[in-house]
Amino acid sequence: MSVVLDRGRARPQATAGVALTLPVAVFFVVFWLVPFLAAIYLSFTDYEMAGTPNWIGLANYERMFADPGFLNSAWITVVYTVCTVVPTIVLALLVAVPLSKPGRLNRRLRALVMIPAVMPLAATSMVWVIIYSDRGMANTLLGLVGIDPQSWLTSSDLAIWALVVMVVWKSMGLFVIILTAGLQALPGEVYEAAAIDGSGAVTTFTRITLPLLRRTLLFVLVISVAGSMQAFVPAFLLTGGGPADATQVLPYYIWANAFPYEHMGYAAAMGMVLLVAMVIVSALQFGFLKGGDE
Amino acid sequence: MRAGTILRTVWLIVAVGFMLLPVYAMLVVASAPDDTDLRGLVFNGFHLPENIGLLFGEGNLPTYLRNSLILCVGTGILDVIFSAAAGYAMAQLSFPGRRVLFALVIGTLALTPMVLVIPVFLIVKELGWVNTFQGMMVPGMISAFGVFLVRQFALGIPKELLLAARVDGAGEFRIFARIAVPLLKPALITLFLVHFLAQWDNLLWPLIVANEQELWPLPVGLANFQSEVGFNYHLTTTAALVTAVPPFILMVALQRYYVAGLTFGGLKR
Repeated sequence: MSVVLDRGRARPQATAGVALTLPVAVFFVVFWLVPFLAAIYLSFTDYEMAGTPNWIGLANYERMFADPGFLNSAWITVVYTVCTVVPTIVLALLVAVPLSKPGRLNRRLRALVMIPAVMPLAATSMVWVIIYSDRGMANTLLGLVGIDPQSWLTSSDLAIWALVVMVVWKSMGLFVIILTAGLQALPGEVYEAAAIDGSGAVTTFTRITLPLLRRTLLFVLVISVAGSMQAFVPAFLLTGGGPADATQVLPYYIWANAFPYEHMGYAAAMGMVLLVAMVIVSALQFGFLKGGDE
Repeated sequence: MRAGTILRTVWLIVAVGFMLLPVYAMLVVASAPDDTDLRGLVFNGFHLPENIGLLFGEGNLPTYLRNSLILCVGTGILDVIFSAAAGYAMAQLSFPGRRVLFALVIGTLALTPMVLVIPVFLIVKELGWVNTFQGMMVPGMISAFGVFLVRQFALGIPKELLLAARVDGAGEFRIFARIAVPLLKPALITLFLVHFLAQWDNLLWPLIVANEQELWPLPVGLANFQSEVGFNYHLTTTAALVTAVPPFILMVALQRYYVAGLTFGGLKR
């Protein structure tokens, strides 16, 4: 009897299920799966917008490792990623831990932190162009401590650090919010027990807060690393990859090869390398932080 | 202990002050009468309304703003509708292909746009959609994030509720529209907000697919704004400020949903 009833219910469910998911399924096939397979194929061709793709095997991949432009971009992406991720997370933790404590002042400050977090990156970048300009805020603040004005965005030594500082600032607001929410969700009894045991602030932080916060930290780390590895906007808006390719991060180099220069096969191959690197780095992070569970 | 509390408060005020400093600099420079003072430290008169009036009186900023609004509201609504339908079905209905679809959605979460933009551009070109609104809108319309968010949320809908409706003779589509959608409302608001904010800041795709200035949304417009206003720093800053206002308003109105969206991956699962 119940089998019959289930059968009777199963068919309309199947119809509705297919109907409700069909648009999304078609969309993901057309705009994600097919392009992904096409990108793999293109990476083995010499496709250049005009003309037809010819299969050239691994030539694009071989070319990459002899291309100073690619090697430079890959190295800059590594530097950029490490130097944005580490300070951002450390600084965000240093702010989030005290900020997550209850209190009226903290509640107000938490609301204020949302302002930088919600600033669009495009708008942020334009503001930092002015901050880094010759007569801008960066040089004014340096002048207060007696340091000569710098050409932040046009010096090949400084430009990458100018980008890093902006991105650290931009991501910090976001991560403070995420970490604060994570910290507020931690069980209060553990802290009461620690206080009764006379645990100091530093011990409480390293022995209790950090381990309990591991899941949130892993999330922040993963989105932070992935965000930095595929960051295109800061390099495009602040420096245009320059001066002398000093800020030409890999996503910028891929874009420049694919669109202004129309080397689509080669750009697709570099995109695949970036993708594989991102997957490996994510897997390492999960492995590393999951490993600490036992 | 008391000293510790004071120290902590001072540190927080200094740190949050530094985090707000660039925002303050934006306000100062955007309110300047000209480019003579770009330090961004002290207000040199308050000419923000005039500057905004200037940008809206002539030039392309109103066009960029309109395009961004069409883009973000349009794709936001579509994302909410399609993700709600698919996310609910994947969580609560049994139908053929459910597992495959879920794998497809999760798989795309790992893909970087840098891999996809080239072939997607070729597809859009094949469709004749280069330099059109649909070319800008359709490829970024639905996100794996949205489908996944709704699915996770929809798993929490009690089965008994749906079963009771079925026993009462309600059709599956009616159950979705009348029972599921109202219950999913918080997730759908979060999704709209996250989608809007991400799309509002999307520079790469419109840059690739829209060459005509008439179609540019704000990020592409801003990228070219310096030359448009004759390298006027204070007017460029005013335009950046205008760009930051809609996300700011949404954030103030929907703060709870914003935090929920940000922390979705960190707290759940």
